[in-house]
Amino acid sequence: MSDILKVENVTLQFGGVKAITDISFNVKEGEICAVIGPNGAGKSSMLNVINGVYLPQIGTVTYDGVERKSINPRDAAIAGMARTFQNIALFQGMTVLENIMTGRNLFMKSTWLEQGLNIGRAREEERVNRLAVEKVIKFLQIESIRKTPVAKLPYGLQKRVELGRALVAEPKILLLDEPMAGMNLEEKADMSCFILEINKEQGITTVMIEHDMGVVMDISDHVVVLDYGKKIGDGSPSEVMANQDVIDAYLGVSH
Amino acid sequence: MIYRETGNFVTNYFKDREIFPMKFDKVVVILGLLFLFLYVPTTSEYFLSAHVIPILAVGLATVGLNILTGLTGQLSLGTAGFMCVGAFGTYNLMLRVPDYLMSLPVALLLSGIFAGLVGVVFGLPAIRIKGFYLLVSTLAAQYFVWWFFNSYAWFLNYESSGVVAIAPKFYDYWGLGNLLGVDMQGYPARYLLSLVVCIGLSYFAKNLLRSNTGRNFMSVRDRDIAASVMGISVPKAKLLAFFISCFYCGVAGGIYSFLYIGNVDLMIYEVDRSFTILFMLIIGGLGSISGSWLGAIFVYEFPIVFTWIGDFIFQGAFNTAVVENVSNMVYGVFIIALLIREPGGFAALWATTKQKLRMWPYPH
Repeated sequence: MSDILKVENVTLQFGGVKAITDISFNVKEGEICAVIGPNGAGKSSMLNVINGVYLPQIGTVTYDGVERKSINPRDAAIAGMARTFQNIALFQGMTVLENIMTGRNLFMKSTWLEQGLNIGRAREEERVNRLAVEKVIKFLQIESIRKTPVAKLPYGLQKRVELGRALVAEPKILLLDEPMAGMNLEEKADMSCFILEINKEQGITTVMIEHDMGVVMDISDHVVVLDYGKKIGDGSPSEVMANQDVIDAYLGVSH
Repeated sequence: MIYRETGNFVTNYFKDREIFPMKFDKVVVILGLLFLFLYVPTTSEYFLSAHVIPILAVGLATVGLNILTGLTGQLSLGTAGFMCVGAFGTYNLMLRVPDYLMSLPVALLLSGIFAGLVGVVFGLPAIRIKGFYLLVSTLAAQYFVWWFFNSYAWFLNYESSGVVAIAPKFYDYWGLGNLLGVDMQGYPARYLLSLVVCIGLSYFAKNLLRSNTGRNFMSVRDRDIAASVMGISVPKAKLLAFFISCFYCGVAGGIYSFLYIGNVDLMIYEVDRSFTILFMLIIGGLGSISGSWLGAIFVYEFPIVFTWIGDFIFQGAFNTAVVENVSNMVYGVFIIALLIREPGGFAALWATTKQKLRMWPYPH
């Protein structure tokens, strides 16, 4: 299968701090790629570079056949990238339904005048997009909380709503930043099921940052390991597990 | 009939999106509209001119500010300035455009658009700055507009006193008054026009709030980075919010000058009024259209009721200075109390009441 995403020689600096140094890796279409590494390794920064929240100083990101030095987040969304955030970035003042409906904003073509008058296209769009949203709500099993303000929900459900908001945009590639952080075993199992189903049934390529090695080794097809902003391992889960640099980074080396 | 969801079955997505989903609500709204359209115009001229029409005008400005501050999260202190643009715009359109082309409703609409465009210009800094810093830009709008109209006497038709009374011919409405045999300059007609505009624009705002545009605005308010990652153009959303908000303020300014006080006077649109409208918004509840109206009624009526109490119970013991100071203190106390107990303002209190009614008498 072809590569949907190619990161080439990316370096990202904040002032004097090098968050990412000369990283390259490829993500194949249809795979689950896990990005792992100790805290501060540059994983979230990598995701932010891919969808344009950060601009790298050096390097290019090739997505869907187009090589770009930088992209702005809106264009990334239009090109079919959706993502979730490490520290949940839901719209706190809105209900679950409204949050997920926001994920459909690129499908809404009616003007604000039509929406204000609630006529024609605007009315029909609300119905059609609500249908798409309800499918995702059903898939994630959050029917009972659809009209609850997200601020009132427990953490695990908020993570699920955020996944729904990304999913409803019908992306080609889904970037998940620690989808299982802070969850108990059961919630992790649920979330793994959702991710696998999204990937296998709907064929959405997934790039995921995750700390839970059990989950990573079980569900991912491809693992990229970062440490101190550098890539130290890249390959299938079993290859990475056998990689001496990775073992050293996680377990430490004797001096 | 009790306030109950039971028996109101939602069978399609249109029904689920209704503004008034419950039968009880619908009945109350229809009765309310009948009351506003049929009974209120027959009340006294004093009641209409001193209570109802000014509340409609400032309430509409509060709804406008709500779109900007409550929905999109952009703080503004330029409300009175944008109202001023609306008032002067309406006056100049009525004065300078030939009568057969221009009538008050058209002039209100056009001057609202002017005010909206002025708002977009002063909203440009919002693309780069957030929160309290934006207050500086909008405060600049307030003072700039004020200075501008003060400096160029052309806008007041070279009236040396700084105040122009509005000529009776401006209430002509292309001869509609003569046709119907109604005094269009009288307060009942003025009231009905403002009422129609206010209900129409409130409906528009409510629709925006529950549609994609409103969700985009709220997402910019809550998390602008997440919004841009979802594909929402944050600068566009902010500028659109400025345009719509200032359009409302402009129309409100036109109503205030033409349908309430009957003259165009710069002194009305000083920065104090921007603050008053901000108080109305905060007390009424950020992000709620009905809250804006509740806040406007409370803040506008409080000094009047307070004076009335002074006159009847304490034989006129309160002079205007006392009333003004006490009012400001009360607004302050209300804002502090609401921020601590109920940040959603009156609108949230009202929502809680409705929720309790829904459960009554078995709250579990």
